[in-house]
Amino acid sequence: MKKTVQGNFHQVKAPLLFLLPNIIIFVIFIIIPAIQGLRMSFTEWGVFTEPTFIGLANFKELFQDKVFWKTFSNTLVFSFFTVAMLTIYSLLLALLLNKNSIKGEKICRSLFYIPSLLSMITVGIAWRFILGDEMGIINYLLSSLGGESIHWLTNGNLAMASIILVSVWAGAGYYMVILIGGLQAIPLELYEAATIDGASPAKTFLNITLPLLKSTLLVVMVLATISSFKAYELIFVMTKGGPGYATKLIVQQVYQVAFLEDRMGYASAMSILLMLLIGLVTIVQFRITGRDQDYE
Amino acid sequence: MKKIAVILTILLLATSTLFATGTKEEGTKDVTLSVMWFNDANESDVFMNTIDDYLKANPRIKVDLQVVAYSEYDQKLKMMISGGNPPDVARISTNTLSVVVDSLEPIDGYVADIERVKQEFLPSMVAFATNKDNRLVAYPTEATANGMLVNKTAFDKAGIDLDVVSKTWTWSEWETIVKKVIAANPKMKYGLAVDFTPHRFSTIMYQFNGHFLNADQTAMEFNNKGTIETLNWFKHVHDSGLIPKSVWLGSENPAELFQAGLVAGHIGGSWNINTYNKNIKDFEWKVVNMPKAAINSSVPGGKFVASFKGSANKVEAQKLMAAFSDNAHNEAYCLDTFNLSSRVDATISYPSNSKDFEVFLSELKVTPAYTANEWKNTNLSKVTTYIKEQIVEVLLGNITAQQAVANVDTKGNTYFK
Repeated sequence: MKKTVQGNFHQVKAPLLFLLPNIIIFVIFIIIPAIQGLRMSFTEWGVFTEPTFIGLANFKELFQDKVFWKTFSNTLVFSFFTVAMLTIYSLLLALLLNKNSIKGEKICRSLFYIPSLLSMITVGIAWRFILGDEMGIINYLLSSLGGESIHWLTNGNLAMASIILVSVWAGAGYYMVILIGGLQAIPLELYEAATIDGASPAKTFLNITLPLLKSTLLVVMVLATISSFKAYELIFVMTKGGPGYATKLIVQQVYQVAFLEDRMGYASAMSILLMLLIGLVTIVQFRITGRDQDYE
Repeated sequence: MKKIAVILTILLLATSTLFATGTKEEGTKDVTLSVMWFNDANESDVFMNTIDDYLKANPRIKVDLQVVAYSEYDQKLKMMISGGNPPDVARISTNTLSVVVDSLEPIDGYVADIERVKQEFLPSMVAFATNKDNRLVAYPTEATANGMLVNKTAFDKAGIDLDVVSKTWTWSEWETIVKKVIAANPKMKYGLAVDFTPHRFSTIMYQFNGHFLNADQTAMEFNNKGTIETLNWFKHVHDSGLIPKSVWLGSENPAELFQAGLVAGHIGGSWNINTYNKNIKDFEWKVVNMPKAAINSSVPGGKFVASFKGSANKVEAQKLMAAFSDNAHNEAYCLDTFNLSSRVDATISYPSNSKDFEVFLSELKVTPAYTANEWKNTNLSKVTTYIKEQIVEVLLGNITAQQAVANVDTKGNTYFK
C-alpha cells in the first residue's frame, strides 16, 4: 500500500510539482491577461474612463472596419512569405553549415546567428539607413553610378517586400540553429546505408533528411508564424506601417487604437481576433506537418 | 509575563519608530521627486543645470530624472497615470496636455495668488494650460511655433534675396522661386520638407483657411473648402517633385534632409533652431516668414511642466515647478535650449539667431486664436493619427481629398458623441 502511494507521488504529483512554477507564471502572465482581454473586448473603455459593457458591439464594428481588414490581409501576406522564406532559407543554411565540411563553418554560423541577437529596433534603423529613398546607402551608390533610385520604402509593394526580406535576414540565424540541432539528431547510419545503396543526394534529402526533420521543421514554422503575427518594432521603425496602409499589420493597428485613439475595448476585440487567427494557423500547421511525424 | 513584556517592548519600539518617521516626513526627510522628460535637443541636461541652484538650496530634495523618447512619451505617461503611479513632475507638450489635462493637479492650491501667476505667462500659453474648470494645471515653460527654416546659401546662389521675397510671398510665388533655387543648386533636389505630423500639415491648412473642427468645437468639420484645397495643393507639390515623397510616404526625417542640403526649406517647429545651430556647418540658414495662401498663420504650441493628482510628492513637486518657472530660471533655461520663453517678462538676449526668433514671434502674432483652441481639443488628439493616414492616402492617389475629409469627419465624430 505504501509503495503504491509512493509510486503515485513519483508518477503524478512530483512532475506536477516540478511544473508548478511554470504553470503559475503561465497563469499569471498569459491566462489571466487573456481572460481580462476577452472581458475588455466586450466593453467601451478609455485609459482614463470606467469600462462600460457593450456586448458584441466591438466585434460588429470590427467586421465593418476597412482599415482593420487591410491590416488583417497585410498580416497574412507578411506572415505567409516570411514563414515560407524563413523556413527554406534557414533550412538551406542549416544543411550548408551542418557537416563541418566547409572551411570557416563555425564563423559562418556565428555571422548568420548574430542578427537574431540584435534588437529589432536596431535592425530596423540600420536597414532604414540602407534602404532610405533619399538618405539610403543603396540609392546613394545607385545614383553615384548614374542609376535611378529605387523606392524601397515609399512604394507599397517594394516596402512589403523589404520588410519581409529584412525579417528573414534578421530571424534566419535563430531557426538555423534549431534546424542544425534537428539535423544532427538524425542517425548517421541511415545516410551510410543510403550511400551504400547508391542513393543520390536529392533522394537522400527527400527520403531521409526531410521526413526525419519534420518535427523540427514544424517547431520552426510554428515559432516563425507566431513571431511574424506579432511583428511590430522592425516594421514601425522601417516604414511606420506605410506608405499609407501598405505595411501596417494588425499589431500596429491594435497599438494605435488602444493608445492613440484611446479605445482599449475595441483594441482588445482586435487582439482576440488576432489570437484566434494565430491559434487557427498553428492548428492547421500541426495538422498538415504534424501528420505521420513519428518515424522513430 | 515575560512574553507579554517582550511583546509590549516590540510594540513600543514599533510605534515610536512610526511616529518618528511621521515627524521626519513633515520637515526633514529626503524627498526624491520622479521627473519625466523628453528631449527635442538637450533640454533634459539644461533642466538639470537650471535647477541645480534650487537643489543645492534644498539639499533634502533629490531628482530622479527619467528621459523618455517623445514617440513613446504619451503612451508611457498614460499607462503610469492609469496605473496610479504618475511621476511627480513631467514635461508636457500641448499635444500631450490635451490628453492628460484631467489628471493634472491644479496649481491654485499651492500658490498664494493664482491670478498673479497666470499674468506672468503669455495668454495663449495660459489658455493651453487651463482645464475645463478654468484652473491652471501646468506651468508654461517654452512657447513654440511652426515656421519655415531655409537654406540661405542656396537662395543666394540662385540670386534670390530672401529678405525681399519672403516679406509678402504667396505659395504660388514660392513655387516659382524655389524651382529657380533647385536649378541653381545641383545637389539640391527638393524645395520643401514638411514634418510628417498633422500639426505641421495644419500650418499650411490654416493658411488656406482650413480647419479641423466646427466653430464651437462640438464636431469635426475637416470637410471644408480650405482643407480640401490644402490637400490638393499638398498632393500637387508632392507630385511635381517639390516636396520629397520619402517623408510622408517613407518616414524619412525632414530635418536630416535639410541638414544634408537636399531641400531648400523645412516647415518645422521653433525648437529646430537649437538643432540646426549645432549641426549645420556647411551652409547658412535662416528663418523666414512662411508664404501666404488665404491668410498668414502658424500654429502655436508650447511645453509645460505639470504635476499629477496621483503624484506621491505633490507639495515638493509644485515648489520645484514654481522655482523652475520663475523669471530667472525660465530665462536661463530658454537661453540654453534656444527656445522662446512663455513668460511675458522674459528678456532673453540669445547669442545668435535673435532675428530667427523674431520671425517665429511675428508668425505667432498673426495666427488666428482658433488654431490653439483646436489643438487643445482632447477629441481631436484621438483622431490625428487617422488624419495623417488619410492625408497619405490622398498623396498616394488611393482616395480623393473629398473622400479623405469625409472619412475623417465620420471617424472623428464618433469621439464627439
